[in-house]
Amino acid sequence: MDFGFKLSPSSAVNLDTVDHRRFDRLAQLVPDALTCIGCGSCSATCTASAWTGMSVRKVLLGLQRGQDAEVDKMLSGCMLCGKCTMVCPRGINTRQLILTLCRLDKKGEMVR
Amino acid sequence: MRERFASGFDPFVIPFVIGMAFVLGYCLIAMIRVICQLPKADRKRFLLSLITPKYIWMNLRDIFLNCLIHVKLWKRNKVLGYMHSSIAFGWFMLIVLGHLEVMLFVPERIHLFYYPIFFNYFVAETEQTLQGALLMFLMDFFLLMVLSGILIAIIKRFASRIVGMRRTTRLSALDRVGLYSLWAIFPLRLLAESFTAHISGGSFMTIPANWLFRQFLGNDLNALPTWWAYSIALCIFMCVLPFTRYMHIPAEMLLIPMRNAGIKIRHPRKGFALLEVYSCPGCGVCIDACPMSVRKTNCKDATVYLNRQLRRGNERRIAEISDKCLLCGKCSAVCQVGVQGPELRVAQRERRKFALTPSYTGMDVQPLTAAVAGKGGVLYFAGCMTQLTPSIRRATASLLDKAGVRWHLMDPDGGLCCGRPLMMAGRSEQARELIAKNLEIIRASGCDTLLLSCPICYKVFKEEYPLEGVRVVHHSVFFQELIAAGKLSVTHEDGLRLVWHDPCELGRGCGIYEQPRQALATAGEIVEAGMHHAESICCGGSLGSLTLSYEQRQPMTQNALDNLTVADPDQIVTGCPLCLATFVRMADRPVRDLAEVLDEHC
Amino acid sequence: MVNRQPIIAVIGAGIAGLEAASQLAALGYKPVLIEKAPVVGGHVAEWNRLFPDMTPAEDVLQPLLAGTAKVRTLLNTEISAINRLKDEYNLILSDGSSLLCQAVLFATGFHLFDASKKEEYGYGIYDRVITNRDLEQWFNSRQDARIDKPRAVGFVHCVGSRDLKAGNPQCSKVCCITAIKQAIEMKEEFPDAEIYCFYMDLRLFGKKYEDFYIRAQRDYGIHFIRGRISEVGEAIDNRVVVKAEDTLSGKPVKVTLDLLVLMAGIVCNPDAQQYAREIGVAVDEDGFLKSRNNLAAITDSSRPGVFFAGACTGAKTVPETLAEARSAALAIHNYFNSRG
Repeated sequence: MDFGFKLSPSSAVNLDTVDHRRFDRLAQLVPDALTCIGCGSCSATCTASAWTGMSVRKVLLGLQRGQDAEVDKMLSGCMLCGKCTMVCPRGINTRQLILTLCRLDKKGEMVR
Repeated sequence: MRERFASGFDPFVIPFVIGMAFVLGYCLIAMIRVICQLPKADRKRFLLSLITPKYIWMNLRDIFLNCLIHVKLWKRNKVLGYMHSSIAFGWFMLIVLGHLEVMLFVPERIHLFYYPIFFNYFVAETEQTLQGALLMFLMDFFLLMVLSGILIAIIKRFASRIVGMRRTTRLSALDRVGLYSLWAIFPLRLLAESFTAHISGGSFMTIPANWLFRQFLGNDLNALPTWWAYSIALCIFMCVLPFTRYMHIPAEMLLIPMRNAGIKIRHPRKGFALLEVYSCPGCGVCIDACPMSVRKTNCKDATVYLNRQLRRGNERRIAEISDKCLLCGKCSAVCQVGVQGPELRVAQRERRKFALTPSYTGMDVQPLTAAVAGKGGVLYFAGCMTQLTPSIRRATASLLDKAGVRWHLMDPDGGLCCGRPLMMAGRSEQARELIAKNLEIIRASGCDTLLLSCPICYKVFKEEYPLEGVRVVHHSVFFQELIAAGKLSVTHEDGLRLVWHDPCELGRGCGIYEQPRQALATAGEIVEAGMHHAESICCGGSLGSLTLSYEQRQPMTQNALDNLTVADPDQIVTGCPLCLATFVRMADRPVRDLAEVLDEHC
Repeated sequence: MVNRQPIIAVIGAGIAGLEAASQLAALGYKPVLIEKAPVVGGHVAEWNRLFPDMTPAEDVLQPLLAGTAKVRTLLNTEISAINRLKDEYNLILSDGSSLLCQAVLFATGFHLFDASKKEEYGYGIYDRVITNRDLEQWFNSRQDARIDKPRAVGFVHCVGSRDLKAGNPQCSKVCCITAIKQAIEMKEEFPDAEIYCFYMDLRLFGKKYEDFYIRAQRDYGIHFIRGRISEVGEAIDNRVVVKAEDTLSGKPVKVTLDLLVLMAGIVCNPDAQQYAREIGVAVDEDGFLKSRNNLAAITDSSRPGVFFAGACTGAKTVPETLAEARSAALAIHNYFNSRG
């Protein structure tokens, strides 16, 4: 019998297959990336979020959940204004994190 | 005077001739290279300036005052000023007088460029004349001057604190060779001239020395080896010069005319940037000045080390030093040659390659434009940072209302970033896109004045936005004018001691020092920080640094606060939301924005 | 009961100091309570009702006051200096007198974080922004112009705690439950008001705390939003507009409130740090006093004869503080016994 529902492979995050390389390299270069508690301060204060939904929290989470397209879209709206650095309770240097991320390719290699 | 040798030559001059030829050739090629590396328009501009009388006069004056007399250094540190000017000016005078002697007594030898240097070896004194004695006296006098400078230099090397420097640079091996040969040159000259003083004549220093030596040295056998040593010391110094910090001597002579012509850094490694790197004398004044060097940390990241690494091509360190800097501009403010540390670093940042480049062209700013369209009057752009310091926005709004100014807020619900943080990060192309968007909004408003309470925004709006017909003004200046015009009446509170913190971007960045103080003086009594105006210390919160962590910044903030509170003020007042937010977390007394203080007393 | 001679200086007459002093007195020692405020009771005396049973603060204080009625209590007294002698400590008091004692008990408690240091929350700038302490005082006095029949109330958790920038990276432990307690009380007071709690993580570890949380959700309809408020602005009608991210939906949220309550965190009393330095007692990285052992000897300091009770070693709840005060009294008793 067909109920009209199908298994949708894209709606679930399969941690077995997620490519971690970009996040791992980022964490190596900017260890702060590991200390995010996902409080959302950065997203709420973000100047660019109104345009692209930029959120450092979501970028960090997205990298660990294999949502590369969303991550790149968010990053391409960042204006580096530094508000997120100001409000982060964990003192993460978010500007360094973003700039470093922008220099990494999909495989986590630094472009030269 | 008569010549002792018909040939006018002795083999000991050969080392000097080699050294001189090498250094002149090297500098000539380097100069041509730097000029060729300039962009075409800059090159044309520079070459034109060299034949414009106004610039010729300016260049000569600046070269004389900076390269020989070191006036800037005198203002900063009298001992160091004397040390440098005695060596540079004394040496210069020895060369000039040497030529004068040759022209006067043996004019046929003027074409031999070693002759003025070794004049005393080649001549014998036949009769004493007044002009001869005067020249001899002057030669001895300037030699003494140089020697006194060398003595200070030696003392400084071993005990820099005596001359008022806490930290000096660590020398590279070649720098040491250069340094020791420089130290050796003048004592050797004194010795050499003393040994031959009974033949060539001398003055108050060389004649007594000659007499003294003759008491226990029975013959003249020491003379020639000493002249050899003198020549060799000169040769060593000149041969290593291009590879040491002493390259700053010829480089600065080119830097001054180029800067006067208005040339700027266009390439991180070529042209003007290269020239700046080579103009760095490696004195290390920037180490003590750098706000990052508090508690002996980050000393190796001062501009002097950036220049050194740029010369060595150590890419890893160049990137590290370039990214760490707060871009506060203090090193440039204290630099004797005017090396632009921040600009040099931003140029390195601009060189980076990115896998992902943001773009803002697709952003539709229609709602923001529509909100202010046709409002005219004063447009107040609070900016990103001011969103986090609501006290500033509130006080500014209140003051504008009290003064009866017709104004509108450009970003009531947040706007776009001004672009300055992107520029600091070396992404000026992306910044241009933001600038274009913001321009749309400002133009649509029809305002005649753009008011900023954030110096970071102010600097970029003033310098990078083509806003003809719109006055861009920082709130400290605007309020000072309103007070002066009687539109705002501020009640003076007796006994209220206020210290003004010069934000980097407002003070060193835009040259605004006095208006905020004048405005503040209407509300209370101004006391000054330990270091202020162009020497003010960065709060440590600067967006300029890309890599400094919060923990690393904390001691810098504490140091800046300690500097601000030396006169024990009641309140610390500043004009930058970022400085405010940075200080307020760690200060032991209230930290306020100028607008808050004025509003409270209005 | 034998009359034991040792004198014990108990610094601070909050609940920790009171409880410890009353226990020490019962054991036959001579505790001296030194309190810089004009009244005893510390922070608890300023509070209205206490979680989780909504016990009036008065009810906790009464037995403590009764137990210390005969204890020598110096009010309005600050300590100018402490000197360590061989086996004794000499306290120089603000009235010029000095007190020689054989043991010192730090019951110095905590300070509430100064919420005005968080510029972006606008405490001291906006009329509608208050702190947890302000609200508690309003419950007591009913006098605060800032609280005027609010229709929308927000609570911000973790103000100056779990915040590196505020110099306080650790959790203040009691704010989550206090916020829920105060949210419930506000809802009881203003049944029509919408109440929002903005939290990073809810840490409801204690007995009955989870029940409290469930009641707040089910019986009082309090809205819990997982997101830290980043900015507070002002609407035209003087109400405050707060911006946060609802991290669960991943969307920015904005809400206009009549009252915003900042749950100011707990930091160590700076006086305690000063005294500790004077007699060489270690201060921990978090700014609180450092116990000899965080598991087995929380009331012992690094120095013989110096003991801790309550929030001077970190944020504590009322029952924890009381239990620790008794434990400290016993530790002091053992200390003197072992010395003969």
